[in-house]
Amino acid sequence: MQKKFKLSSTIQCDVLIIGAGGAGLRCAAHILEKRPGTHIIAVTKVSHPQKSHTSTAQGGLAAVDPKDAVDRPIYHMFDTWKGSDCMADQDVVQKIVDAAWEEIVWLENRGMHFTRDEEGRLSKRTFGGHTVRFGEASAFRAVFEADRTGKGIMDNVWGEALKGGVAFLDQTLLTELLIRNDRCVGAVLFMEKTGEFVAVSAKATVLATGGCGQVFRVTTNCRQNTGDAHAVALQAGLPLIDMEAVQFHPTGIVGPGILASETLRSVGGILRNKELDPFMARYAPKMKELAPRDLVARAIETEIREGRGILNPDHNIEHIWIDLRHLSDYVHEVQIPEVSGFFKQFMNLDPRTQLCPVRPSNHYQMGGIPTNAFGEVQRSPDTVIFGLYAAGECGCSSFHGFNRLGTNSILELITMGRFVGERVVLSMDEAAEGLPADAGDKTFSRFAGYLENKKEENIDQIREDMRRMMTENVGVFRAEEGLNTAIHALTVSAERVRGAALRCRSLQMNQELVQRWEIDNLLSVSMVIAQGALRRRESRGGHARVDFPQRRDEFNAHTLACMTEFGKIQFASRPVDMSIFEAKGDNYEKFGLIERKY
Amino acid sequence: MKESYSLVFNIKRHDPEAHKSWMQTYRIEAGRILRFTDVLRKINKELDPTLAWNSSCEHAQCGSCSVVINGKPMLACELLVENAVVYFGTTTFTIEPISVAPVLRDLVVDLEKAYDRVHRIRPFIIQPSKNPNQGQEYRISPRRMEGYLDATRCINCFCCATACISSHKGFLGPNAVMASVVRIMDPREDATEDRLKQLYSEEGVYRCHTSKACSHVCPKHIDVAHFVGLAKERDFT
Ligand SMILES: Cc1cc2nc3c(=O)[nH]c(=O)nc-3n(C[C@H](O)[C@H](O)[C@H](O)COP(=O)(O)OP(=O)(O)OC[C@H]3O[C@@H](n4cnc5c(N)ncnc54)[C@H](O)[C@@H]3O)c2cc1C
Ligand code: SF4
Ligand code: SF4
Ligand code: FES
Repeated sequence: MQKKFKLSSTIQCDVLIIGAGGAGLRCAAHILEKRPGTHIIAVTKVSHPQKSHTSTAQGGLAAVDPKDAVDRPIYHMFDTWKGSDCMADQDVVQKIVDAAWEEIVWLENRGMHFTRDEEGRLSKRTFGGHTVRFGEASAFRAVFEADRTGKGIMDNVWGEALKGGVAFLDQTLLTELLIRNDRCVGAVLFMEKTGEFVAVSAKATVLATGGCGQVFRVTTNCRQNTGDAHAVALQAGLPLIDMEAVQFHPTGIVGPGILASETLRSVGGILRNKELDPFMARYAPKMKELAPRDLVARAIETEIREGRGILNPDHNIEHIWIDLRHLSDYVHEVQIPEVSGFFKQFMNLDPRTQLCPVRPSNHYQMGGIPTNAFGEVQRSPDTVIFGLYAAGECGCSSFHGFNRLGTNSILELITMGRFVGERVVLSMDEAAEGLPADAGDKTFSRFAGYLENKKEENIDQIREDMRRMMTENVGVFRAEEGLNTAIHALTVSAERVRGAALRCRSLQMNQELVQRWEIDNLLSVSMVIAQGALRRRESRGGHARVDFPQRRDEFNAHTLACMTEFGKIQFASRPVDMSIFEAKGDNYEKFGLIERKY
Repeated sequence: MKESYSLVFNIKRHDPEAHKSWMQTYRIEAGRILRFTDVLRKINKELDPTLAWNSSCEHAQCGSCSVVINGKPMLACELLVENAVVYFGTTTFTIEPISVAPVLRDLVVDLEKAYDRVHRIRPFIIQPSKNPNQGQEYRISPRRMEGYLDATRCINCFCCATACISSHKGFLGPNAVMASVVRIMDPREDATEDRLKQLYSEEGVYRCHTSKACSHVCPKHIDVAHFVGLAKERDFT
């Protein structure tokens, strides 16, 4: 092994938070409020915590206001359960929904600039799938900060973490988890700016690295969402849960992948194919454009597959049109100014006079690193890894089951972030354990391999091919044949990239090196998604099998997948918690295996 | 309307290990609605994988991708090729890193260093004011918020600080000053005196020459100079 690969230092701290987005920093803020002076290190892959992806969430955050005369937590629980296609864990659903409003007050009291009504109270808006009285009418449940709710949260939790004295490590990557006898003692990090490797010893390690949407060619997710922590967890022998449960948003704007929100359709936008045919009438004669997200996504995807899409030459992406030309100036200016503005900003189009290109885009990963309702990472349904926690999009306690409702994700970040904080505080009196002698060895052999390889390959091309292939075969539609093709293609890509040489051989601020490492992570995550999708011979939530279009009760359990050797997966399952149903309280029957029909 | 453009990108490069800086020219064909981040990615794929540049959201919402293009600090992720050609009247672009932080490699700067100024103003509520509705939200009227709401849209891209001639000489810089002004105007903050003391100190607003370069370059179209001006005039009503 080359001489330059060594740990440049070992750092001690109380809590190591990997991922400084909404979930990670909410957790940090809670710990510091309850136990001031706790030594917390928060790590982020981006150039500063405020750049984390939480900043891009637009719409809002669901929470039932106890002052509300009609809305009740039980309705929110029901909507979440129904939306999840009966795969959310009910203990988690209850816990998060019950804690939601407290978190809103926490955010507001610490300075978030929520949009307000004339009386100075927090304004609320409706969102798809959120109802009162078990589906009877739309609920006004989402509080928001204009069209930048995520940014409001990010600014706020970052500010509080800074105030409490968190030490930040920016542009730093988690490369290895240090776990011994089911106890996590810390992690190995790679600091991009200096090219150094460090080991961190911590009493508690929290994973909060966000999503993994870069698996797909067309995604709303940021450049850094490459499933790093998912892959590192797999390497440590931990399982991932429900990775086949991926959400696709029906209308991402071609190119930047920004969301063209539901609003465009609710104010009267019409979807048209190459022949300008308003095709939704053929798929949902009554609801048309207003049908649920997954149905619209499948309709668009079918049009594209059957040759009625349009190819955008610049981005080389197929799409259909959304037609907003017939809408009044009032609608353009007052009801949809932001989204309408995106088309101008990113496509140079005027939606008043021109058709706008959209297509289904990867949006959210419902699965992730399995945890219980306290955010403790599980090795199996009944064993946890002591000292290791996960929260936010990378974790899965399962609040969303197989389909996430809009505005439920940022609610999950802050509540689960806090719950993890509560657990961590309880564990702080225990002594820290030493680091294993071989800490870093796995990282070193991996990185040394990248730098020593000699084969001429275009790594960016391999990555692009892989992402396109995943979009085609493991995207909105899935079928046995395509999934087998995907699994084979991933094996071939892994082979192709294995010996690929890098042009820049430095360790310091080497973007090429980091992207090389990311491909390995993307490949691992893709493999788990594809095999999980193949195994689940049913359709449920975001997972749609053309060859098995119905939901089937025999698949009523979470998928656990371990993969220590690429391509060889051991599957297990975790039962779905149905404690609300089993408690037989008021309205318990709404929490049985109900149909997901809207 | 042209379908695609033959572009010349002259990019300022820096190798931290060899302590070397140089200009490198890339010639590349790019579709009209590709953004500059797409073109940089294309350069990586087709010409030179070693060129380092920064971005994250690529939705103009995180402020990671700021670079100086033909002298103007801008977000690379929202600049379309076609618009750049029209705006600058050329297909040749000089691209340099922003100047408010040390360069790590090529176009990537150490943003943490740029953020030092923002951290110094304490971007949080230092001393919460008394909330008459204990355990509930504060009541703040939309009219009251109107005065500072626009400033809360700032994404700390540091384009304004890069353009500001005073920013390099110990001035907090326009975005940091503005962030403090927000909290001075926010009824939930009590530490107004502390904040004012800092704004009128050596590193404070008197370094501003009111050139308004900050407002001119802000990709979020925030009138930054207006907020700096409020501080200069001590007018926060
Ligand atoms: C365009 C868009 C709009 C959305 N709108 C909404 C909405 O309106 N409502 C809603 O509820 N949800 C919405 N979502 C979903 C929601 O924003 C995300 O699920 C959520 O922000 C994820 O937060 P997080 O804290 O888990 O992760 P992030 O905020 O993504 O933070 C992850 C952190 O981990 C770091 N990290 C990643 N990898 C590593 C590594 N290897 N080593 C070290 N650090 C690492 C990152 O740098 C970052 O600091 C939206 C998502 C998108 C993309
Ligand atoms: S107006 Fe003041 S703060 Fe703005 S750029 Fe000019 S000198 Fe800088
Ligand atoms: S004020 Fe504008 S230019 Fe300055 S940092 Fe904020 S968003 Fe960027
Ligand atoms: S990459 Fe986020 S603003 Fe450009």
